Amino acid sequence: MKSPIESPEGDWWSEEVNRRESIWLGISGLWAMTLFGWMAGWTQFGEQNQVGETLEVPTDRYQEKVNAFKQSATQADRGLVPPDTDVYVGAMRYAFDGLPAVLETGTEYTFHLGTYDVQHGFSVRQEDTLSKQLSLQMLPGYEWLMPMEFDEPGTYHVVCNEFCGTGHRTMHSKFEVVEDLSAVESGASGGESTGESASTGGDYGGWFTGEATGGETSNYDRSTTDATDSDAVTVTVGPDGNYTFGPPAVRVSSGTTVTFEWASDTHNVLVGRQPDGANWSGHEATENTGFSFEHTFETPGVYAYYCNPHVSLGMKGVVEVV
Amino acid sequence: MFGLGTFEYDSDGFRDCSVTGLRIHRSAEDMVKLFGVTAILALAVGGVFAIFVALTRWELVGLLAPADFYTYLSMHAWNLLIFWMVFMEIAILYVGGPFVLGRKLPLKNVAKAAYALMLGGALVINVSIWLTDQPDQAPLLTSYAPLPSSSWFYLGVVVFLLGALVAAVPFLTTIWKEKREHSGQTLPLVTFGAFVTSIVAAEAIVGGLITYVPTYLWRIGVLAHIDAAWYRQMYWIIGHGSQQINLLAMISIWYFMTHVVGGAEVASEKVSRTAFVLYLFFINMGAAHHLMSDPGVSTAWRVWNTSYAAYGAVIASMIHAFAIPAGLEVGRRKRGEGGGTFGWLWSAPWKDPGFSATVLSIILFGFLGGTTGVMMGQMQLNMTWHNTLATVGHFHATVALGTTLAFMGLGYYVLRLVFGREWILKPVAMVQPYIYAGAMSIVVLMMMYLGILYGIPRRHPSVTDIPGTDFDFAAAEPLFIIFGVAALLAILGGALFVVAAVGTLVAGGKYDGALPVEAPTAFGSERPVPDGGGANASAGGSASGSDGEESATATESEGTTGTGESEDGGSPPWYEDAAHHALSMRGTFLMTLVFLGAFVALWALNWYLLSQLWQVG
Repeated sequence: MKSPIESPEGDWWSEEVNRRESIWLGISGLWAMTLFGWMAGWTQFGEQNQVGETLEVPTDRYQEKVNAFKQSATQADRGLVPPDTDVYVGAMRYAFDGLPAVLETGTEYTFHLGTYDVQHGFSVRQEDTLSKQLSLQMLPGYEWLMPMEFDEPGTYHVVCNEFCGTGHRTMHSKFEVVEDLSAVESGASGGESTGESASTGGDYGGWFTGEATGGETSNYDRSTTDATDSDAVTVTVGPDGNYTFGPPAVRVSSGTTVTFEWASDTHNVLVGRQPDGANWSGHEATENTGFSFEHTFETPGVYAYYCNPHVSLGMKGVVEVV
Repeated sequence: MFGLGTFEYDSDGFRDCSVTGLRIHRSAEDMVKLFGVTAILALAVGGVFAIFVALTRWELVGLLAPADFYTYLSMHAWNLLIFWMVFMEIAILYVGGPFVLGRKLPLKNVAKAAYALMLGGALVINVSIWLTDQPDQAPLLTSYAPLPSSSWFYLGVVVFLLGALVAAVPFLTTIWKEKREHSGQTLPLVTFGAFVTSIVAAEAIVGGLITYVPTYLWRIGVLAHIDAAWYRQMYWIIGHGSQQINLLAMISIWYFMTHVVGGAEVASEKVSRTAFVLYLFFINMGAAHHLMSDPGVSTAWRVWNTSYAAYGAVIASMIHAFAIPAGLEVGRRKRGEGGGTFGWLWSAPWKDPGFSATVLSIILFGFLGGTTGVMMGQMQLNMTWHNTLATVGHFHATVALGTTLAFMGLGYYVLRLVFGREWILKPVAMVQPYIYAGAMSIVVLMMMYLGILYGIPRRHPSVTDIPGTDFDFAAAEPLFIIFGVAALLAILGGALFVVAAVGTLVAGGKYDGALPVEAPTAFGSERPVPDGGGANASAGGSASGSDGEESATATESEGTTGTGESEDGGSPPWYEDAAHHALSMRGTFLMTLVFLGAFVALWALNWYLLSQLWQVG
């Protein structure tokens, strides 16, 4: 008896191997060669190889590169049109900076993939055919240059598929691929378009609900902090690491200076809507703890603003000027 | 230990196992019980969390809020992938070493200290995950730096890993002593497998310490910076390495259980041992497939690790895929339980949960787990698998189907042969492996479909509703329904095992059953048909003559206590020495050809899907 729990006797190494077992060994070897040969061959004749140059770039430097890209790109209403064939994507909790973008079929773009904070995933699929999808890892401190060329026009959705924190599931963006880019650019009209009505009221036109841009604001309980007696008002950006503004809604008198102070990382302030004639531009660059900027509000009315990376988590605020 | 066992030991602390013929010392048996019971508790805890995870991903139910989901998912992962597996693996080392070799467990206090470290580490990990609070995040399995988790978590991991490393020391000492005393003797195959397991485990654990000690120092502020690419490469030494321990432990169990319950013998010592040696050199490189879609490693590094290195391990797995069923085939043919091509299979003890769980583990691991692992290990295909639910499907096929089923099968026999208790609720025990294996297979297939055909990301509490956008994956909802129902059934199947096992421990009667592994007695009237048909194998018995005297005379010398005694009168009957290569393996061969066909078809399908993508790179 040849038991696996007893020591084999004699010269077991020289025992003959069953003919069929030998054939299977041969098949296994051939199959492994086939697997290897095909994979190596695909790097030569295949069109899908996740091979590209990697640069070691600190996160703050990479953020500057993405900002420079955004400055030089053309703002169309469907997204950024890159000035050349380089597309920069800066992932942060919980948004893709640099997206959405509008690209052209038949052009080989170089996607620059990097992050500002933790690890993220660049998971792309075609809107109409979900099985056409791929995922690439994005690491802080590394910029990965990945060439891509699209034949089929359409919308390509990007989700983060590397866990990056509690808001991970909200991290989504997209890019569009069109056949003729010149048509897009001519129809462009810059600026933010939120599609919100300009009505004001206790709920600021539903600004804090999930019906408006992004998600529902957790710290707004339909009460507005009254600071009409103060000359200087401070709004905390991301207090205690929460994705909120504190206070979410503040009422000030015309001519008051409001200071926005960052208490956590990777936030910005974009203006959703403001009274006609006002020219507040917010602060578009994402900043970290310790940063602050101020603005003196003159024109009366409702200024609705939000943090772009975290708007889907409800990070929204209002300054009401009376 | 616990007063749960029913066996008596002699004055030296030994007892003879009436089933396996093994001579077992109390020192080893106590520790096997301790680690084994702890493993089953971890299985129960992880299984409870599986309910919450599955019912959240099945968004029709949508049980948990997003922040809670990540915490529950982390608890599920650590208790099942790490604690259930590693505690059980230590028990398997002590079975494969001291049990099989008939030795005491040396350094018993070291083993106890190791247990205390592992248990302490596991508790710290569980509590720190449960109490995760901003700005810390739930670690999931991977705790990818620089996303911070509680500093206690990293400390708990370091302590647990140290404990697991220490726990291997008494096993390795056993091997050392055995080889000092019997230097000319080959280790039994199962012991050899356990030995290779321990080396692969030590590599993985040392990798884990290299990962988690600096990460802990970073988290408490001693180190200012931790590099994400470095972390990933180091982490996966333990992250996947720990699963390679599962693989090797599982294969050792396959050889052990098919023998003990099914009467399998070793088809070829040379081939099976060579496969283990291939694992020793190559299996840990399989972990490289986690970095196939990473910017941090070069293309040459990726191609090297996915080709040469990985296929060394793939060939080893394909060898076991043949050798284990072939061992069963020849073992049963020798007993005359193998008429025709598949008679040896039809006549097998399918009502014995130890047997059915083991065989289901072999089949499902191969078809669903092994093949998909090769798919995602191909560099380019990895893009379509990376971080999708299909990946989760793969490792549920390997770990939840393959390893867990094998451990369940072994668990049934640990109850009988170590605790000496007969199963209660026998009908439940009989159907449990089928319920669990069937339902979990559907879960796994759904995960793979969802991941590959719909690109559903893993680690998301909601994909049919993504806040802030109209885009979602609602098209996949029908598959999620099948997934959800099957997941609940699978959890029920797992719970039945825990109920049967714990019930048997506390209420099972004394087991002193018959011998599943009998020396061949029920021989058919004719001799088995020799395989190959060549002149050199003209008759089953003649081949043994060519081996010379030693194999013919020494077979009954030692170790077969209790198994062959009934025929011990004179010279061994002819079939005792029937050369295995001369017995037919045609049933196994046909089955492995079917396996190869499925493998090739799956491979072709995956490459077809990839070729439909836009141009990358």
